Amino acid sequence: MKNIFIIARNTVRLEIRGRIWLALLVFGLGYLGIMLFLSDLVLKELPMVKAFALLGIYFFNAIIALFLGTTSFYRDVERKTVYFILAKPVSRAQFLIGKFFGLCAVIFLTSALLAVAYLVVIALAGGGFDALGLLAILMQWLEMSLFVAFAMFVSTFSSSLLAIVYTSAVFFLGHVVSALVDDARKMGIGGVRLLFVNILYYLFPNLEKFNIRDVAVHAVALPWASFGYALVYAVTYIVLLLFAAIWIFEKKEI
Amino acid sequence: MISFSHVTKIYGKRKKQRVAVEDFSLDVAAPICGFLGQNGAGKTTVVKMVTGLLEPTSGTITIDGMPSSSAESKQKMGFMPETPYFYESMTGIEFLRFCAELFSAGDRDDAFLEGLLKKAGIAEARDYEIHTYSKGMRQRLGFAQSLVNDPEYLFLDEPLDGLDPIGRHDLKESMLALKQEGRKIFLNTHILYDVEEICDEVGIIHEGKLLYAGSVKNFCAGRPLEERFVEIVKEHEKKYEERRTKKEA
Repeated sequence: MKNIFIIARNTVRLEIRGRIWLALLVFGLGYLGIMLFLSDLVLKELPMVKAFALLGIYFFNAIIALFLGTTSFYRDVERKTVYFILAKPVSRAQFLIGKFFGLCAVIFLTSALLAVAYLVVIALAGGGFDALGLLAILMQWLEMSLFVAFAMFVSTFSSSLLAIVYTSAVFFLGHVVSALVDDARKMGIGGVRLLFVNILYYLFPNLEKFNIRDVAVHAVALPWASFGYALVYAVTYIVLLLFAAIWIFEKKEI
Repeated sequence: MISFSHVTKIYGKRKKQRVAVEDFSLDVAAPICGFLGQNGAGKTTVVKMVTGLLEPTSGTITIDGMPSSSAESKQKMGFMPETPYFYESMTGIEFLRFCAELFSAGDRDDAFLEGLLKKAGIAEARDYEIHTYSKGMRQRLGFAQSLVNDPEYLFLDEPLDGLDPIGRHDLKESMLALKQEGRKIFLNTHILYDVEEICDEVGIIHEGKLLYAGSVKNFCAGRPLEERFVEIVKEHEKKYEERRTKKEA
């Protein structure tokens, strides 16, 4: 546990010193600042401000997660910085898990900073304290953690560039696959085509489970059961992905 | 004692297989053992196996009777990789602190770590970010980090590469001082002069096979090490060629 913590802490330190993270954070904060001005000029209605602000936070977090997930671990292995670590009493599993927790912590920090800015913007726009918005951001963080786990898993067997391509594809599929299944059922599609859609559904993570932005924007009652289900789903998926990543990394010749 | 017993390492799978180290057996007890070989001879593969970075395809490697890749063995081992790559945005002292924390006795105070930087000759660069370091300074930092756990065994992979004459001299002096302290050093190098100067024993590896292991004096038998090294390598290649011709015939 100690080694995982040390590696995670070091990952946070290294990544927040990176210019890309800082630039994206500044852009994210700037975007939320612009939302404040637009709320008076264009958006006018509070739900519109909330929707655009939450979408912006989601977008910046997704870029950061994609960037960190596909480069951080891969870079350490490829540049052989990992030699310094693995020649010490640190197992490959500890290194990988430490990296994962470190990256999740960086995204949590980003989410937290953007969430503070979001709450200020909504309060100034006349929305008071938006607890549901905060919950939506927390769910986004959960989704990003899963996203990072997937990116790290892909990074164990492919290059950084390919990892970006694969992870982006999964990100896209993860958001449309549940709609695809629904559409297929509504349209009465069966046979091989339905089987194919179902395979996609069970093979790729269903990222729409983490999307409660609509609930937050329209301030409707939160379906707590689905929130709990999403939590269990994310944890299970992350554990499976990390197990697979460790299994591949253990066999990798570095 | 470091013990290699019938160690073989094969890279790749099926048709793309390449034998990097073949049936390698060696017991190292000397204070400083130089491991000599041409580029691509298998030196780095051997060091990577003993430090647990690579798993041998077959055979065993032990340190004081324990598997060398075990956590217990790693606790008493220091390793400096060839051409070290660091976390560029960390400072020298931060990097040492990070490395020290990974050992069970990780509570090294800054005075101890500063002492290592001083020993390596980069104390003044303590708070500089590593991306500002020259190649020689990186080698020195790599050497310093290999000492953070006060190791009994040191594995140094081409530590003198990229160092200026003063740097080379200082590092060799440091190795001799470590020898005086009772530590064992396994020095990977292709620079014959260094082996002749500071090593007690030498292992010569060529195309993954150990050609000689023993004292430097016995090996040289009054002749220059370079001459003997070329002789033994050519002898091996000649024998190999003869065997191949016989097989083809």
